[in-house]
Amino acid sequence: MKVKVLLVVLIVFYKINLNAAEAGMPQLDPTYWFSQAFWLILIFSLLYISIAKFFIPKIKDNLDDRENKIKDDLDEAKELNELAEKKNLEYENMLIKAKKDVAKILLDSKNQLDKSINSKKETFEKDLENQIKKVENEIIEAKKKSANKINLMSEEISSQIIKEVTGHKPNDATLKKAVIEISKERVNKNL
Amino acid sequence: MSKNPMHQFEVYKIGPEIKFGSVDLSFTNASLFMLISATIICFFLFLGSKNKSIIPNKIQLIAELFYNFIAKMISDTAGSKAKPYFPFIFSLFMFVLLCNMVGMLPYSFTVTSHIIVTLIMALFIFIAVTIIGFLKHGFKYLSIFVPKGVPALLLPLITIIEIISYLSRPVSLSVRLFANMMAGHTMLKVFGGFVISLGVLGGWLPLSFSVALTGLEILVAFLQAYVFAILTCIYLNDALNLHH
Repeated sequence: MKVKVLLVVLIVFYKINLNAAEAGMPQLDPTYWFSQAFWLILIFSLLYISIAKFFIPKIKDNLDDRENKIKDDLDEAKELNELAEKKNLEYENMLIKAKKDVAKILLDSKNQLDKSINSKKETFEKDLENQIKKVENEIIEAKKKSANKINLMSEEISSQIIKEVTGHKPNDATLKKAVIEISKERVNKNL
Repeated sequence: MSKNPMHQFEVYKIGPEIKFGSVDLSFTNASLFMLISATIICFFLFLGSKNKSIIPNKIQLIAELFYNFIAKMISDTAGSKAKPYFPFIFSLFMFVLLCNMVGMLPYSFTVTSHIIVTLIMALFIFIAVTIIGFLKHGFKYLSIFVPKGVPALLLPLITIIEIISYLSRPVSLSVRLFANMMAGHTMLKVFGGFVISLGVLGGWLPLSFSVALTGLEILVAFLQAYVFAILTCIYLNDALNLHH
């Protein structure tokens, strides 16, 4: 800046020497100082009033409106976010509850199924046992019956054989006794 | 145009002569360019604050940029107490900036290249700041001339220096702006004259200088408006917050 000012001063002096009539700084000519001061004060005052009363409040309003709008929007977004988080939590709780319910239902139905299977198994086993007992009894009876029949048939066959061989009829009581003894030894062993 | 580089600063009457007593208050080219600058500012701010849209358009964005720029400058230098003076500093910055910028147009007139214009603005600021200082702090405002933490031996000297520096504020403020504007425009004119006198063969060098200087002058135009406004803020800060 100093260099510039110096240069200007040099040029001014140069011009003064060169052209005395036109030389000098018009800034230092006081002819229009009052005019400039007057118009400066007038125009600047008008500018100041219009800026202070009209433009600045308007720009400030615009800026404030924007700031408020942004703030409101942010608040709303925050609220909505909170709501969403709450809903998410609720949903998660519901999910956990539902999972628990499912597990309980699964367990219950499994227990019930087990129970019914067990009871059916028991009935079936009892039934089977009864039938086995019945059949066993029948077998025992049949054994007894068949043994008596065999004895009877043996007696008859024996009495016939003895009659054919010896020619006279053997004593029934003795025969019976002998057959029972033999059958006890042999038949019961096989049956 | 004359070859004299100072010719561009000449003030001449436009229209009829207006005399108030013996004082000449005629409308001049200087008044015209003040009016042009003020009109441009009003038009620009009108466009910038016209629609109340949430997403600003370009002009609105620039107007709000200026608003925030000045608001931040004031709050940074003078604090929250200076808020009532925001419209004044905003007007001042815009006016000086536009006068400087309009002056950059060829064949135009630079209002701020006249010492009387800058001196009136600087004197107004100086007197206003002094009044504000006395209104806020009473006679305690005089303590601005007596800095704290200075050895008693040096105090008379420092106080004299402080008083001189305080009183030279309007001079430094006005001469800084005026000298910068005048020097820049004179240099542009001188290099422009060289282009003509050196002709097609030799004129290219001063022409390139002229182009570079135009860029520099646009920067200076903005910078000087900023400096003018920020110094006003600093003076205001001294008056509002008595730090000494």
